[in-house]
Amino acid sequence: MAGQLLETALLEKLERLTIHWQKSLPGLVGGHNTSRFAGPGQEFLDHRHFHHGDDLRAVNWRVFLRLEKLFLKMFQLEPRIPVRLLFDTSDSMKTGNPPKFDYARQLAGALCYVGLVRLDSICLQPFANKLGDAFVASGGRHRFQPAVNFLSAVKTGGRTSFFDVARDFVSNYPQRGLVIVISDFLDDGDCEKPLQYLSDFGHELILVHVWSPEDREPPWEGELELEDAETGQHVELSFDAEARRMYTQAFDDYAQSLRRVALRNNGRYVGVPSNVPVDEAIFGPLVRAGALE
Amino acid sequence: MSLLNLSFGELLGLAGAISAGIIALYLLDRSKRRQLVATLRFWTQADVRTELKHRRRIQQPWSLLLQILSILLLLLAIAGPHFGGDESAFRDHVVLLDTSAWMGARTRTGTLMDEARAAARAYIKSLPLRDRVMIVRADALATPVTPFEANRVALEQAIRESQPGASALNLEQAIEFAQRAQRLQSQRAGEIVYAGAARVPEQESAPVQAPSNLRVLAVNAPQENAGLRKIGLRRSPADPDTWNIFVSVKNYGLRPHDVQLALQFGGAPAGSKAMTLQPGAEEQATFEYKTKVAGYLEARLLPEDSFPQDNRAVIELPARQALRVVVYSAEPRMLRALIASNPQVSATFEPPERFDPQTKADIVVLDRFIPPARPRADSIWIQPPASGSPIPVRETKTGITLEHWRPETQLGAGLHTKNARIDSGEILSAAPGDIVVADAAGGPLIVARPSTPKIAVIGFEPLRSSMKYELATPLLMGNLMRWMAPETFRRWDVQAGTVGAVNVTLDQAPDPSSVRVVTENQRALPFTIEGNSLRFFAGSPGTVRVLTGDRETVYSLTLPDVGDTAWKPPANVRRGIPRAAEASDTGIDAWPWLALFGGIGLFIDWLLFGRSRALRLRAARIAAGAARLNAWRKAS
Repeated sequence: MAGQLLETALLEKLERLTIHWQKSLPGLVGGHNTSRFAGPGQEFLDHRHFHHGDDLRAVNWRVFLRLEKLFLKMFQLEPRIPVRLLFDTSDSMKTGNPPKFDYARQLAGALCYVGLVRLDSICLQPFANKLGDAFVASGGRHRFQPAVNFLSAVKTGGRTSFFDVARDFVSNYPQRGLVIVISDFLDDGDCEKPLQYLSDFGHELILVHVWSPEDREPPWEGELELEDAETGQHVELSFDAEARRMYTQAFDDYAQSLRRVALRNNGRYVGVPSNVPVDEAIFGPLVRAGALE
Repeated sequence: MSLLNLSFGELLGLAGAISAGIIALYLLDRSKRRQLVATLRFWTQADVRTELKHRRRIQQPWSLLLQILSILLLLLAIAGPHFGGDESAFRDHVVLLDTSAWMGARTRTGTLMDEARAAARAYIKSLPLRDRVMIVRADALATPVTPFEANRVALEQAIRESQPGASALNLEQAIEFAQRAQRLQSQRAGEIVYAGAARVPEQESAPVQAPSNLRVLAVNAPQENAGLRKIGLRRSPADPDTWNIFVSVKNYGLRPHDVQLALQFGGAPAGSKAMTLQPGAEEQATFEYKTKVAGYLEARLLPEDSFPQDNRAVIELPARQALRVVVYSAEPRMLRALIASNPQVSATFEPPERFDPQTKADIVVLDRFIPPARPRADSIWIQPPASGSPIPVRETKTGITLEHWRPETQLGAGLHTKNARIDSGEILSAAPGDIVVADAAGGPLIVARPSTPKIAVIGFEPLRSSMKYELATPLLMGNLMRWMAPETFRRWDVQAGTVGAVNVTLDQAPDPSSVRVVTENQRALPFTIEGNSLRFFAGSPGTVRVLTGDRETVYSLTLPDVGDTAWKPPANVRRGIPRAAEASDTGIDAWPWLALFGGIGLFIDWLLFGRSRALRLRAARIAAGAARLNAWRKAS
């Protein structure tokens, strides 16, 4: 059944991957990434002075007998933190051949499967100008099919508004966690500030920038009448090689600004053209960027 | 300038229509394309100045101009303009391509025909393109293959399809045909060009009236050749199973030749003879071969030379067909000498009581009895009883004198007796249409009825009277059997000769209505009779049968007719391929240049404004994309 979205061979290859985050985020035990926050772990981390209210089970009584001072043993925590996958369902994702939206769904499905295999809790959150209905997948790989059904049922529509989305997201999800944004990031407004806002709130960002080859280097020439997929706005223009060069330059500048936002906040940026196969994108740039390991 | 056979105004109209089409296509190509894009932000950021260009419909006027100019140049090239010289200066040439049998002779590089074809091609190539050429295949007949034609492809095809024939060259007739064609069909006569070996029969080797515009493209022909000239076969008069074979061999070369003539019948050797042939000499060899069966007789001349087509001939010999005669007689002893002595007759003697009306025989002889039913085959009745005679018996007499024969009839030809006494005989009653062969005082004694089957009644017993000492008796029997079965007694000759005109010498001047000349497909060939000479013409190899009365001659015309001598053109005749400058007029054909410039114009437009740019961009994009993909993989 999952083969409708991802091939079985790819799923088998995905089983050896793990979603990786860099920030030390608080959470319950059971994760697979170490955190700087001490907690009920197995590995010894440090000692600190005892304060009222601390768990007496963690007092190092041997040290107390020798020094007559209470020291508390701290252990390294590997917390289970929420992984939230925001994927763009705006009209601009319909463009491209194949449509970027299909590609984004496949990427989201693959990342969801990787999280489920490691018993992570994955929240699939579609968005356009606001957050859509989310789907939380957890409990292992056998819960992947409902996630696939959810992804397959999602439709595109609406304009992109990162500002509204960021505001809704922060209000709906107060627990900090890993936020993976799969989008073409084509917002008529500014999307850098909303992303910065998310990061400032404490989320770790992984920006997966999906573009179609036409988005970066339009193949057309001559007189064109262009229609914006989201706004329906029309523009008539003459397009030639020089204009194409300038267009590509503008696109690359924009992608670079997204990269800067991600890196500035200890996040990661991955740019993926939609003509690259999904498995190559996962085992290539996503692994190399540290989003998966 | 022909301008596609259009007037100047019509040409301008055509050019205008084409230009309008080009402009329409141009505008269609440059029209706006509607495209859905993900965002407009980068398009506006790319600083594309759209307003100024958008208002101009024609954005690449140089491209449009270049296209129109190039198309006009190509149109003019198709019109084929010709500058300078006389516009009507093209000439009509006739190329006589020798396709006689000798052109099949082998050379070091192929055949003489290949060389003649190459020479004809080279000549046509040297001519101006406007000149027209008629290709004529010349052998015994001059056959035009093309009319006066300027299309070089058609001329090349006609030359390529020309093959050596089987007859000898009739050069004089071919030149006359070419002159007549130029006189009647050409606008301005050019040259008459002969390409070939010019080997002609001896009777036509008299100096040919060479016209002033004759050009000869001679090929290097081999000189030495010895070949079969004629083969004749005839059954021996003494023994019908024996064939007398006459073979005629000729040395066409300039040196003596030692040859071996070998005969084979059905693959078995039938005879051979070594011969020394002097230059130009024709010698005959005679063989005898005895066979009753049919088969193929092959004559072969060894060793092989440069013209192997006349070194071998095959003739089909028929089996001898004997006349089957069944004689019903109570006293066959005397009739045996009369009938069975003929070697062409196979006689069977039976008693009357064993008569069978359906017996398998060509002729049935009934000796003095009446059968219960009449025989199905032709029959000779000897003194039948009056009650059952097929020809009514008027009266029976004794002591009859055979007064006279009817030599004007076929049955009475050559019969003569003097006061032949017949002891007992029957006077017959001849019906209209019956042939009376002999008469007595009271009426006909021998009567034949040309019905189906044929019937002859002899009213007396020839071997029981004084007639048995007469020569007329066996001749009468012979005449009767020849009349009833003429095919068996027909004289039969076989001749193997060369195609072309065949002259047949007959014994006497025949009645033309009794002569038939037919091919193997039973198609009648026209013939002429002059005295006792019959002539017909066979243009292609095959078998021709000449039937004249009791004689049939079969001509197996399979040997090629080789010319005896090489024709030497007069000294004033032009030879070889003319130089291009000699052959061309002073005008200049402009179409190649116009076509070249038109093509260059379109190519430049394609490079600067057309799809090539898209191709180059696409290729560059693919290359850049690949490089970028690699860089992206490394960077990621």
